[in-house]
Amino acid sequence: MGIISMEKVDHLYWLGRYTERVYTTLRVFFHIYDKMIEQPEGIYAKYCERLNIPNIYTSNRQFVMSYLFNEDNPDSLRSNMERAYDNAVVLRDELSTTVLSYVHLAVGAFEGCRKTTAPLLELQQVIDDLLAFWGGADDYVEQEDCRNILKCGKYVERLDLCMRLDYHTENLEKEYRKLCNRLGKTNLVYHEASLNRLEEIILREEHPEQYYREALGCLGALLA
Amino acid sequence: MKELVEHTEGINRLMARYGVKFGIYKGGEFHEQLFPFDAIPRVITHDDFQQLEKGLIQRVDALNLFLNDIYSEKKIIKDGVIPEEFVFISSGYLPQCEGITPPKNIYSHISGIDLVLGKDGEWYILEDNLRIPSGASYPMIAREICRRVSPATFSNNSVVDNRNYAAMLRQTMDWVNTGGIPVIMTPGRYNAAYFEHSYLAERTGSELATCTDLFVEDNYLYYRDYREKKQKVGVIYRRISDEYLDPMTFNPESLIGIPNIMDVYRSGNVAIVNAPGNGVADDKGIYYFVPKMIRYYLDQEPILKNAPTYLPFYDEDRKYVLDNLEKLVVKDVAEAGGYGVIFGNELSSEKLSEMKKLIEKESRRFIAQEVVDFQDMEVMEGEDRVLRKADLRAFVLSGETTKVWPSGLTRFSRNADSFVVNSSQGGGFKDTWVLSQWKK
Repeated sequence: MGIISMEKVDHLYWLGRYTERVYTTLRVFFHIYDKMIEQPEGIYAKYCERLNIPNIYTSNRQFVMSYLFNEDNPDSLRSNMERAYDNAVVLRDELSTTVLSYVHLAVGAFEGCRKTTAPLLELQQVIDDLLAFWGGADDYVEQEDCRNILKCGKYVERLDLCMRLDYHTENLEKEYRKLCNRLGKTNLVYHEASLNRLEEIILREEHPEQYYREALGCLGALLA
Repeated sequence: MKELVEHTEGINRLMARYGVKFGIYKGGEFHEQLFPFDAIPRVITHDDFQQLEKGLIQRVDALNLFLNDIYSEKKIIKDGVIPEEFVFISSGYLPQCEGITPPKNIYSHISGIDLVLGKDGEWYILEDNLRIPSGASYPMIAREICRRVSPATFSNNSVVDNRNYAAMLRQTMDWVNTGGIPVIMTPGRYNAAYFEHSYLAERTGSELATCTDLFVEDNYLYYRDYREKKQKVGVIYRRISDEYLDPMTFNPESLIGIPNIMDVYRSGNVAIVNAPGNGVADDKGIYYFVPKMIRYYLDQEPILKNAPTYLPFYDEDRKYVLDNLEKLVVKDVAEAGGYGVIFGNELSSEKLSEMKKLIEKESRRFIAQEVVDFQDMEVMEGEDRVLRKADLRAFVLSGETTKVWPSGLTRFSRNADSFVVNSSQGGGFKDTWVLSQWKK
């Protein structure tokens, strides 16, 4: 009916952020996991530093188990998936039962992976479920406003992760333009000065990576 | 049917995928649990359903007339059919609702009537739920999945489609709508029936709202969107209890209600589904009087029977209860959800005498019933078919006319010796098939 409450806007935005966070960091984790085969213990320390999460890990093995599956670790992918679920479960009437089911599946897949000896093999299912969630959202979420807010969350998170994880400048430009496109289609009130500065850093600075800390601040202030 | 039963595990897996769960608090912590589904349905024949339908419509019509009477003229009390103490000391009676006439004079729009099928083939009413009965969404989604899993089962059996519940509910809401959007109000995701709230909102096309989304202005109820635009609400299907609905009228400490909604309701500017104050009619003590209500208001003999019930409040009944407690089931009228139900045959002699003292001291607090010898139902336990106790919650919707949903929630106990079927106590559920008169 085209009515979205403030509370639901918040849930849509954070659902977009958390699903994207799990999706992208899981894909990055696959690379780290691969590197761990040859690299010495503690390779995860740099990753933690970049994501600005506390390095509470004591070994590669403990990092894998805790960062992936520990529900008591607020930075674990499992915890982030749970946060995605918390936001999704209150949006059934906006998302539809069909789309919501992919979040249920992803949570269930995480639960199943914990018991396996080859977690990455099974975690592929989480990535598949999240991709299906986004495909479903495009197809089944009838309200355009809902889709746009959800995608604002997704692109804010993706930009944030791209900067932290040193993605190439052209990727940043692409994600930035996607964010602007979605933001312009919503009625969300955003901090225009932050968006402008973000644009300057991403599109016009010669060495944008030197300004990433500032850019992350702008991104954080955008919809605060 | 065999094919359907073989896929029970797959059906339950799909239920998990769609979030068919209920919430439960254990040790102060919230947990979501799957509601176990058994694929062997309860089957009600066309003729049996027709009789059941007549009886349920009769009962709910009488209960609606009772509510209208109690909050206005109170003729049934004046005429000595129901003692006034049973009405006014009921915790469900709300003096704040005196004199309020709800839109179209309907109080119980959605009634959940719990029944059991006796071994004598007769249906017995166990209790009426006229406040916020839950459960219709479970057989609704189960049917959707079962048809997908085994189409042959449904093409070989003439089962009336039950997936029209949302349409029936929306019609019921539209009938009393005072002009505005329809809203389903939930206390939030940590409510036991949150799945149902969100599923029904999706299926009826209503807005799912919490108290923060709704506000009262100039004696109208509004839904506020994120652009600060407001939409007038014409009907609110609230899934929160009366006492939390309006802190200005009921419990002032309620943080999940809408301040002043009762003023809007009193002015006829919004329909509240179900009406506040209905608890007086589904009180376990009032249950005893429903057959009398049917005779009084409709001048008809009740079609459906109550389970044989005694009110310790009456001397004669109290004597019988105290003499026969070991073979009766005693229910605390203030409890719900399977709590406060005590089977006399399970009590030690010490507990029996404690219970007797309590009944003597607080005779209004309890009712006692004969244990109905009801038919067990087949349930799959692993590879085996076992027999378990089961009841039926029938849903009756009162709008332009009173209609019975051709299905219902069949709940069963998963423990061999238990009569308690509630989901909160570990029970499971079945689909309820009503057969059409056209045989295949």
